[in-house]
Amino acid sequence: MTEGRIVKPLAVFIVVLVVILGGTFLLAVAGPGSSGPPDGASIDGQSPSQYQPDAVNAPVDPEDGEISVDADGEDKRILVDTSHGNQVSESQLEPITEAVFEAGHTVEYGTSGTGGFAESLGQYDGVLVVQPLGSFSPEEREALREYTEDGGRVVVLAEPTQTQLSTGFTQSTTTVSFGANNATEQYGVRMGAEQLYNVDDAANDNNFKAIYATPSGDGELTDGVETITFDTAGYAVVNGDAETTFTAAEGTRTLETRRTGTYPTVVRNDNMVFVTDSTFIRSSEIYDADNEVFVGNLLAFLLEGEAPGGDAPDAGFVTDGGSATPAETPAAPTPEPTPTPTPSGF
Amino acid sequence: MFGREQVFSAMTASYVVAVTLALVVAAIFAPVVWNGVPSGGDDDPSVAVVTLRGGTTDANVNAVRQDLREARTNESIEAVVLRVDSPGGPVDSSEEFYLAVNRTASEMPVVAYVEGTAASGGYYGIVPTDEIVVKPSSNVGSIGVIVQAPLSLIEQTEQQGETFVRSGPDKAQVSKDGLREDIEVLQRSFVGTVMRHRGDQLSLSREEVANGNTYLGARATENGFADRIGDSELAIERAAALSDDIEGDGYDVTYLGSGGAAVNVIVVPAGAETVQGANNVTYLVHSEDETTFREPVKYYAVWGIPAKGDNATVIRND
Repeated sequence: MTEGRIVKPLAVFIVVLVVILGGTFLLAVAGPGSSGPPDGASIDGQSPSQYQPDAVNAPVDPEDGEISVDADGEDKRILVDTSHGNQVSESQLEPITEAVFEAGHTVEYGTSGTGGFAESLGQYDGVLVVQPLGSFSPEEREALREYTEDGGRVVVLAEPTQTQLSTGFTQSTTTVSFGANNATEQYGVRMGAEQLYNVDDAANDNNFKAIYATPSGDGELTDGVETITFDTAGYAVVNGDAETTFTAAEGTRTLETRRTGTYPTVVRNDNMVFVTDSTFIRSSEIYDADNEVFVGNLLAFLLEGEAPGGDAPDAGFVTDGGSATPAETPAAPTPEPTPTPTPSGF
Repeated sequence: MFGREQVFSAMTASYVVAVTLALVVAAIFAPVVWNGVPSGGDDDPSVAVVTLRGGTTDANVNAVRQDLREARTNESIEAVVLRVDSPGGPVDSSEEFYLAVNRTASEMPVVAYVEGTAASGGYYGIVPTDEIVVKPSSNVGSIGVIVQAPLSLIEQTEQQGETFVRSGPDKAQVSKDGLREDIEVLQRSFVGTVMRHRGDQLSLSREEVANGNTYLGARATENGFADRIGDSELAIERAAALSDDIEGDGYDVTYLGSGGAAVNVIVVPAGAETVQGANNVTYLVHSEDETTFREPVKYYAVWGIPAKGDNATVIRND
């Protein structure tokens, strides 16, 4: 009986102790594997906020609108310069040709007839010079100056110096530069030394070198335009009384030297307009942002010019709509060949 | 002497005392038993070193992702050092790299050690880590995306359009505008990731980060691309210090993935392309007598230029 009084509680003591410690042991062995979330379940950060559509989807400029050119019933002729190694093809200017034709005017590539660039200028109301790689001869510069002084209009589209890839049997890279600084300097403007870029999402058009530019004031070139985009933008260096009409968006920098500044991208000096990009007239860019309105303004500017050599001679057949077929246009009376080489101020 | 009731109550009291004593003793010894059980079979907690050397390619990233999963699921591993020497690679696998590291970093301290280069996609993956340790010669940065496309795709799309009859105008068609829009989207997610994880440390603006510059170690620790100068030992010490489950020097260091390739016995077919991963090797066999359709373009988060440019060019703005 005495033994039973000690042994039985002792047995209970041992059993309880073994059960508790044994249970603890088993839990410790099995426990860690089952604690914490299993791999792959509701881990924060696997659908990160910076990956959500709102954060990454870039707003794309709407490609809409149309190039509007006033049809005033008069047949005007625009010359597209092709005699200075111009980096432009007729197919690239098709949207422009289409709009001009629709309004009853004419676009011609290269000078018609046998006269050279200088001799033929007087036949045209406006001249479009796209990225010439070759320079202008003294005679051509003089002719151009007289042309604009006499009421002709000139638009020069220029690109900054850049490397271009040429393809063929072998690929090679070449440095391409705007070659007509000597012609534009007489209007107080030349192409700047570097390309521009902007990496601020609000100031570039989907890529760091495609920048936005905004009007610097009111005028016929900026009418109805809020923003234009340039793919290969440079800046104009202005000297004299040339007036800046568009400047690159805030924060735009030069590519090599990384300097920020207020960079003029479109400059006008009376009857001459200088634009520091030529890619915005291509089919892929022309309807981006307000580019089409700006192009319409440029065309209106050109068509408002007056051919100094007198009105273009009537084409073979002019319909009621006033459209003339370029091929039918005979050579206009050659303007007097500028015999006095007045020294110009450049 | 004693009545039955008295005997019974004495017995009951002794049982109560026994059980109470047992509970007290159990309460004292249970923690000893609990802690005496080795967790995961090791004595000490350990810091795992996961290595990525080479591009952030599918093979390399998959190997690292397996290592990181091992680190997350192995109970003895309490912290990770991510040892990186990578110039980046394709954007898709670089994003995988980031997500795998991000998940690991949400569960335990992860310290990145930049052995040589962690640029572009290589840096993409280490931004969610707790600390980035660099040497003066380490190269970090190069945030950005490029795309490489065969010239023919861009310049001869019209001719190609005549070769294949398409069900829709955009079917299998690549345009420069489209490529640039896609690049912009990938760029935003990349730059956004860097700004989210390191925006507080960076002395650079979002625009400056988007420039895509690379920085050597000393400059990187100044501008916030990295946190401190040191070697891999420092990175391991930092990882251990950041872990709540590691006290002092009481930890092991486990190198994951380094010995994995030893057991691979594969008969390599003739003409197979070898893709070397961190701890595994994948052999690809290309059949030559059937038409293969290649992915037209691939977006890269990479620092450097393509080694061979046969009939391919990096899309630029000219």
